Amino acid sequence: MSLLIRRFVPTKTCNVVLKQNEPAIVVISRRKLSIVPSMYDGERDPAPKFFSSYVQKLLKRLTRPDFSKVFRKRTNSGVPVLKTPTYKFLTSDELELEFSKARLKADKLLQMPPVVKVHQKIDEVLSQDPALVGYDTAKYLFTDITFGVANEHRLIIERDPDGFLRSCDHDVRKRLNQVYFPLKGRSIKEPLMFSDSEKFNNLLDREKYEFVLDRACVQYEPDEPNYQRVTSITYQHIDMNKKYDLLRSTRHFGPLAFYLTWHQSMDSLMLELLQSGAVREAVLLAALRYAIHSDIANGDVAHALTEEIFPSPVQLSKPEQLSEADIDLDNKCIEFVQKYIVSNSSMKSQQELALQGFREYYQQLVELSRGLQKAHGKV
Amino acid sequence: MSKLLSLGKVLIKPMNVVFRPNNFTPNLQVTLSTSSVHNVNFFNKLPAEKLWKSVTSVSNAGAKKGRGKGTGRIRIRDLNRGQMIGVGKINMLWPGLSAPVIRGRELLKQQRLPDDPERMEKLIKLRDSMTRFRRLRLNPIERGWSGSKMPGRSIGPPDPIGEDEFTGFDTKVLQLRSILIMKGSLGRTRNYQAMVVTGNGQGLAGFGLGKSKEAPAALRKAKNRAGQKLMHFEIYDGHTIFHDFYTAFGRTKIFVQKRNEGYGLKCHRAIKEICQAIGIKNLRAKVEGPINIQHIVKAFFIGLLQQRTHKQLAEEKKLHLVEYKAENEYYPKLVASPSVVRTKEEIPKNETLDFVQYVMNDKLILRKKKFPRFYETMPHYQIFLKKYEKYRNHEKIRLNLKVEHGDIKSFLTDKYPEPKEQEA
Amino acid sequence: MYVYAMYLEIMILTGCTNRPFYHISVTHRRRLNSQPVIEQLGSYDPMPNINNEKLVALNLERLKYWLGQGAHVSNPVGELLGLSGFFPIHPRSYMAAWRNRRIERENMAKQLELAEKSETAA
Repeated sequence: MSLLIRRFVPTKTCNVVLKQNEPAIVVISRRKLSIVPSMYDGERDPAPKFFSSYVQKLLKRLTRPDFSKVFRKRTNSGVPVLKTPTYKFLTSDELELEFSKARLKADKLLQMPPVVKVHQKIDEVLSQDPALVGYDTAKYLFTDITFGVANEHRLIIERDPDGFLRSCDHDVRKRLNQVYFPLKGRSIKEPLMFSDSEKFNNLLDREKYEFVLDRACVQYEPDEPNYQRVTSITYQHIDMNKKYDLLRSTRHFGPLAFYLTWHQSMDSLMLELLQSGAVREAVLLAALRYAIHSDIANGDVAHALTEEIFPSPVQLSKPEQLSEADIDLDNKCIEFVQKYIVSNSSMKSQQELALQGFREYYQQLVELSRGLQKAHGKV
Repeated sequence: MSKLLSLGKVLIKPMNVVFRPNNFTPNLQVTLSTSSVHNVNFFNKLPAEKLWKSVTSVSNAGAKKGRGKGTGRIRIRDLNRGQMIGVGKINMLWPGLSAPVIRGRELLKQQRLPDDPERMEKLIKLRDSMTRFRRLRLNPIERGWSGSKMPGRSIGPPDPIGEDEFTGFDTKVLQLRSILIMKGSLGRTRNYQAMVVTGNGQGLAGFGLGKSKEAPAALRKAKNRAGQKLMHFEIYDGHTIFHDFYTAFGRTKIFVQKRNEGYGLKCHRAIKEICQAIGIKNLRAKVEGPINIQHIVKAFFIGLLQQRTHKQLAEEKKLHLVEYKAENEYYPKLVASPSVVRTKEEIPKNETLDFVQYVMNDKLILRKKKFPRFYETMPHYQIFLKKYEKYRNHEKIRLNLKVEHGDIKSFLTDKYPEPKEQEA
Repeated sequence: MYVYAMYLEIMILTGCTNRPFYHISVTHRRRLNSQPVIEQLGSYDPMPNINNEKLVALNLERLKYWLGQGAHVSNPVGELLGLSGFFPIHPRSYMAAWRNRRIERENMAKQLELAEKSETAA
């Protein structure tokens, strides 16, 4: 389990510090913090945890899909010139059908990029022919362009000048796949945006997280060390600046929450949830932590609570009226969060303060809704 | 008041040299001549008005026929322009008149200054500039549809009625023409007719027609009439109409189509002015048949008034109205819901459910077939396309090379440099 | 006796002046250059790229089909297939490699001689 490290670099020069496991480190100007990327390499594999249906459900709820943001106007949507809107007359049933289709489309748009372990090196020697030494000074790269074969299973082989016939490593494979079967948006050469740290940090400072993450998804495969590096730096930057709202209702929030929970640094996210008053999502986050690490005191309570939370609708804005069932659920959530803060949190004082504030606000809300119900005569 | 002409031919009578009290010697060049001096000539017998009238006047009958109105007519010029009392052909300094009496501590005296040879030329130039009929030069913002003509130009808000002021209103002239009719008593009489549209850009607009013998008066009448006859229009989302429609007035037909934000007003210039007055920013309108501005305006207003809002359409149809936008991934947005919704079984078979067809009252716009370009049917075109395949991508390649290396070169250019041309 | 086949897999030169590029394709044996090929099975770029690699693409599935239909393979294509491991290595490849090594050895020897001469002279 690798820990996140954030170091201050007060010295004059920009240091390039190499750690043993991590292949690359981002170098930032001396006045800024240096974020150390950490990849999912190591003994623990995040894939089975990430792809489990329970965790997927939790992450989906945490992203809080807001249709107005999911279906917003994008500059890269492929519509160069705006078109006139079309109108349709629909019955109620047809309308329901359309909404369900829209929900499916939203699911597709919110499909999370997978979180997997970094891939292993390919180093297979197929044949050795020392008699071919001196045939040519250049390497020969052979690609099998058979139709219908997936890019991962394609035969890509190289004949070295010293006569060895090898299967190629992942970066060569990716490059040749892009040459013969290009994917739109992917470039053969690594974009300067990702290799040049200045440009990359400039983008992050300008809070273009979604753009960076989208481009990374297109450019790299999820099991590449470069992709893991880029995404981990982005997630840490977001965590430092507490700009979770920018990624909400996008497909990147799930992997962000997973990353933070995996590296045990989800407390600022928890704080943000409490401050904005989303107690149920705080419970979901705690349940996620339990699902990944199983180190919360009352984890089974979490599971039960989440089962109760899932059927309730997604809270996009603060509620105005509460029913008794809502109040019960919220009270249970508040108790659970209290226990969690006491036992597992690392930002205890701030979170307690936030929770206290939420409790007061919630009390007012409860009184208001109870009063309203009495006024309407529905005791 | 009659003004004295000075054409430089009037002599100044010299002062009597004999009369010299207190040894006062003026600095005048005194000339004694015995020739006769004419103080009165043709040019100062009568005032300027009468002189000019004698050259330019036209009889009543002649005026009716249009004599003296064309391009060759003599223009009255004010010949006193450019001339001041105290400045003349002989450049003299007159203290008290063209210069101060005491300058500093010095007492100025009459003296002769050096001659200005170009004075006459300047005066002639000035007088010549007054003769040509100058076309009114308008800057492009004020300009209307063409040149210095009135149609397309703005004439400000209508005059306030009592205490109500027309704040935010702007009127545009659509038509200003002179109409000649034969009257029994007067013969040919000329009338000006103006059509004007006024609006505040937020849904209130009206058009008016005014007639008068003078152009500005006709415009004023039309403007105020338009201000009286204002109509309120609903605008969808602040930039366009609710749905397509077709209108006609007389034999002038208009096909109007709703357009998205950013499209602009692609229509006849009169319709453009009306839309700007109402506040519609994106529209497409095709006028067919006789292009008669008054008919176009009336047809357009009729069509707009007959428009139905989304809510009304939903109520008429008793079905939900849903909007699909391409940039929002065709997300179904519920725009209007009726109070009672029909189910699928309650809808009869022959009912038009297509939005555009329903809104156009079951009429279809004839879409003309697009014919291929003249070169596409030529025999060599296919061969050209095949040959073009070879360098179809070269622009992008050149761009990529410039991005990578800064110039159109590859990684081999530095290794194998091209031989430099020998300078002779 | 050489048996002539109906189909041949050959390298067809395309590209521009000073920039060769080969298409590996199946053709009729007696094809004129102006006539089209039956099927293109791949490409070979004889100029090494920025990473000093020569890229070869081969559509192995179709290759196998045409071989099954009795197509013969020309010598350069045969060499490439041998290098890729699909065929056993062509004897011409071994010969070329042997000749290159000999030339290398001779060049090395000449250079050593020159170095010795300059040493003795100095």
